[in-house]
Amino acid sequence: MAEDGQRREDKVFVWPYLVRIELIVALLYLLFFTLMSIFVNAPLRNLANPEVTPNPAKAPWYFLGLQELLLHMHPALAGVIVPGAVLVGLALIPYIDTRREGTGIYFTTPEGKKIALFSFLYTAVWEISLILIDEFLRLPQMPESAHGIGPAVKTLLTQAFYGTPDPTQVENMTILIPAITDVIIPSIIMLLIPFLLVLIVRRVWQADTREVMIALFSFFVASFVILTVVGSAFRGHSMKLFWPWEVGPPEEPLQ
Amino acid sequence: MGRLWERIKSTRVYRSIYRNDYPTTPRNQTLVILNSVLLHLHPVKVPRHAVKLTYTWGLGGASLLMFLILTVTGVWLMFYYIPAVPHAYFSVRALETDITFGIFLRNMHRWTAHGMVLLVFLHMVRVFYTGSYKPPREFNWVVGVNLLLVTFLLSFTGYLLPWDQLAIWAITVGTNMGGATPIIGKQILYLLRAGYEVTQNTLVRWYTLHVIFLPLSAILLMCVHFWRIRKDGGISSPIPLEEEAGKPVPVSPELQVAEQEEKPAPVG
Repeated sequence: MAEDGQRREDKVFVWPYLVRIELIVALLYLLFFTLMSIFVNAPLRNLANPEVTPNPAKAPWYFLGLQELLLHMHPALAGVIVPGAVLVGLALIPYIDTRREGTGIYFTTPEGKKIALFSFLYTAVWEISLILIDEFLRLPQMPESAHGIGPAVKTLLTQAFYGTPDPTQVENMTILIPAITDVIIPSIIMLLIPFLLVLIVRRVWQADTREVMIALFSFFVASFVILTVVGSAFRGHSMKLFWPWEVGPPEEPLQ
Repeated sequence: MGRLWERIKSTRVYRSIYRNDYPTTPRNQTLVILNSVLLHLHPVKVPRHAVKLTYTWGLGGASLLMFLILTVTGVWLMFYYIPAVPHAYFSVRALETDITFGIFLRNMHRWTAHGMVLLVFLHMVRVFYTGSYKPPREFNWVVGVNLLLVTFLLSFTGYLLPWDQLAIWAITVGTNMGGATPIIGKQILYLLRAGYEVTQNTLVRWYTLHVIFLPLSAILLMCVHFWRIRKDGGISSPIPLEEEAGKPVPVSPELQVAEQEEKPAPVG
């Protein structure tokens, strides 16, 4: 049996030791998806109607993290620049962390595991706080239905420069104000979170390049998970925050 | 019965298909891998830790399985689906009512598509945390990032095809994001929608991407991905201590042999 495989470098024959696992796992997946397909039907709503916008209109679940970002910043930032930067950043990882040590070991070191856990918690605290602040922050002079950091700053700036707290009443507003509130402030926050994270793991754990990468990658995974979960389970009518059990199917106004 | 089986196994036809006996001996366990195009994706032997489920969780293989199921169910769906605005929705609806196993295969396609997105993402997470992107596997990691992108695009293009409210509004929201690109936003939006709105033109464009272009891209990238796994030294393993001390790593055993042969033979 296995003796033959153990002789050199502790290797085992692919047949049967790997192919049998592959076969069993493949059958389990097939069984799972067969059962799911028998009992759960894929959604099929009414015939497409460009005149009737469902509320809320949501992208597929894996893009709901990006759609969540859209609520907090300029669409070019949320829909193009952030996902583009994430893909480029992911592809760059092996060209930044170039040492071979630590290959093949989960988290490389016990510190690596702690850093990953810390990074998840750190990201969760930041992002959940920011989402809540953006939903509930309101200044008394802000126009009805406006809320969040960007709109609050926008109100303060228009008040200072144009004498009215309502940005919608200002004609020919300088492009500087929306640039600050929709692009610059969100960019600073999105860069500040990972930057502080790197400072902390360098200070506390004397993190090397691999461990800094673990911190940053965990920040990405945690962000993806948190934003996707909030975007799919906690956003209901008009993309406002709800508890998951309050979020019903999208409404379609009657014609 | 046993004798009949022996007779079959000794026929020319059987011997022309299977070149080795059932793999119960080291020799046949080696030959079965070398002789089979599909098993040939694997080496003959792998490190013991590679068969531990808790190392890889089988996520890459499971992603491939999803792709295979999606190909089979997808081709089958193409028999019935009509990519034209007046018919698309009703041809999908007909799967529920008129076609044997129609709803089952559509469900299978939908759920495994979600499964593939999830599994590909988890596979990336596994590869990262085991440090399997480190040299010499840098380029294969980049190929993997591209496969993640193609997986997202495959799923997203398929989302439009049922032509229901979920489909066109998800795609309207999604393409609007692309339309927010600085400077060339309008052109991008026009390119994505093949027009100013989500219409028949969009449907044909996304259908073509979904059934031909993106699957072929995925297959091409997968070929490179799987080939490079082998060329980069197989499944990632902890590095032996003497290599960690700085000894150069041979790129490939074949190259080592070739370099040996290139050296002039010692004279006299």
